[in-house]
Amino acid sequence: MTYRFSTRQTLAHVVLILGAVIVLLPFYVMISTSLKSPAEIATGTGGVFGSQALFADQTCLTLGGSKADCLVRPVLDNYTKAFTEAPMWRYLLNGVIVTLSIFALQTLVAVPAAYALAKLRFWGRDAAFALVLFCLLIPVHAIALPLYLMLAKLGLTNSYAALILPWTVSAFGIFLMRQFFMTVPDDLIDAARMDGMGEFAIIWRVMLPTAIPALLAFAIFSVVAHWNDYFWPRIVITGDRSLFTPPLGLREFKGDLGGDFYGPMMASATIIAVPLVVAFLLAQRRFIDGITLSGMK
Amino acid sequence: MSDAASLSHAVPKQQRIARPERRQARAGIVLFAPAFVLLILILIVPVVVAGILSMTDYTLGRPSIDWVGLRNYVDIFTGSSYRKMIVATVLYVVLVVPASVFLGLGAALLIRSLNVGQSFYKTIYFLPVMASLLAMAIVWEFALHPTLGIVNRTLAMGCGTPLEWWPWFARGCAEGFPLWLGDRDYALYTLAFIGVWQSFGFNMVLYLAGLTSVPSDLYGAASMDGVKSGWERFRLITWPMLGPTTVFVVTITMIRSFQVFDTVEALTHGGPAKSTYVMIYAIYEKGIAQNLVGLGAAITILFLAFVMLISVAQRRFVERKVHYQ
Repeated sequence: MTYRFSTRQTLAHVVLILGAVIVLLPFYVMISTSLKSPAEIATGTGGVFGSQALFADQTCLTLGGSKADCLVRPVLDNYTKAFTEAPMWRYLLNGVIVTLSIFALQTLVAVPAAYALAKLRFWGRDAAFALVLFCLLIPVHAIALPLYLMLAKLGLTNSYAALILPWTVSAFGIFLMRQFFMTVPDDLIDAARMDGMGEFAIIWRVMLPTAIPALLAFAIFSVVAHWNDYFWPRIVITGDRSLFTPPLGLREFKGDLGGDFYGPMMASATIIAVPLVVAFLLAQRRFIDGITLSGMK
Repeated sequence: MSDAASLSHAVPKQQRIARPERRQARAGIVLFAPAFVLLILILIVPVVVAGILSMTDYTLGRPSIDWVGLRNYVDIFTGSSYRKMIVATVLYVVLVVPASVFLGLGAALLIRSLNVGQSFYKTIYFLPVMASLLAMAIVWEFALHPTLGIVNRTLAMGCGTPLEWWPWFARGCAEGFPLWLGDRDYALYTLAFIGVWQSFGFNMVLYLAGLTSVPSDLYGAASMDGVKSGWERFRLITWPMLGPTTVFVVTITMIRSFQVFDTVEALTHGGPAKSTYVMIYAIYEKGIAQNLVGLGAAITILFLAFVMLISVAQRRFVERKVHYQ
């Protein structure tokens, strides 16, 4: 394919490239810094990838190691430190446990409720739907203080329960699935009932399979939000490092370490940001649909 | 059950007609019950609790609790640090919303006009939405570091060039470029910049979706009517047709920027001189870190009032004004 030169097109590209440079700047800083030695970071040298010359690690020297023993490769040193200076694996595991539990519970609660609102006639259904619409207006982050107090009264702060419980019901999830179920033909449900299926079986064996695209989009929406969430874990996890989620772990890393640790810190930031960014690059359409889901209202 | 459905299965229906209605009603209640209980416990009860606690001097761990009426609210509206809180929050929102919305719209329009590379730019601009804001905030802090950061280093390279005609730049060269996050005159603007950087890609995607729903024959009709320039096309067709998208984009950007916390907590702690003391951070600092629950609860209620006002205004606006289809 060939395109004729057009001033207008070229101009659009120039503006968009300038924008892209600013958008990508911190990603470049993050990755490039994570590859460099402290000296290169301090002097702003080393280009994009750093020279990767061996350097003597400071902690190793203060522990009495000889200079030859302490020589390390900057990139390896930074990424090793990200895992040894802090329990990074633990943080990542906690992130996975929390995000997956939240999504599983949200599905378990929202799907039956959405089915009831969409397809069953019961007393108070309109009021129930009005409640869901009202709850859509309340951002959970805004009511963090009373939620925190309630959890503290129950003795649940500093636990997985504190990280997960407040997110088990998603008014948005119920709303979204309800809108989707509305489009499923009643005949399908009637046929299932004729076959003797109970309402519960209908939900999981008839309704859910038709709703896979909506559920997948909601999964991405939910997982991205909770993997990246910093505010809520910050509030309910105060001391116990073994419960830290990845953003909390990174914050701790920043608080603990001063000047010379930019290399390992940027390596940690890269490790935390990479899973979602890679998943996004692999399945862009789905991710964009999922995250902009709230735009479908 | 619809009439059509009952007609199509008329024969075996007889014995099901009375029973299924009751069974359905019971199933509906049972299936909605867990969600109902959780919605009440997790979303409604806390709002009520915050409302009650905002009129007390409660602190966590102390058995006694005293009713103080509206004193916490009076404190908020008279104390100078709370006035700074309102100013910082409103200024942040006022800075971020228009910039983020117009950059989102601009990016969407430019990208739509391209022959090649649409998805390339879309991917790049969407990246900040995906990446952990806390991680990226820490990276921005490093990039904006007064001596080590890439931003001031790059600016310093411009010294001695014609850029020095610009007084601000000349001052930077002579006395050093701003500390950004450490300077009370720049901190909030710097945070707002990070906020825009992070959010405009989201708005771009919403606008791209909105643009695909503008019927293309409208443009044909307009050109027949003599609408020639791109600006006129935008003003007469694109912008009005994007009305519903814009209302939604503005609302969601507003609500999100009201909730800014990650960058404030990690980079400025509300300082310097309370210049970045936004509401959610104040709730965290007063209500949780300092255990002044009554004050924190009062700020919570004020915050909820702001957010609800925006949402209700949006719903009103959508009902009244945006009727294009």
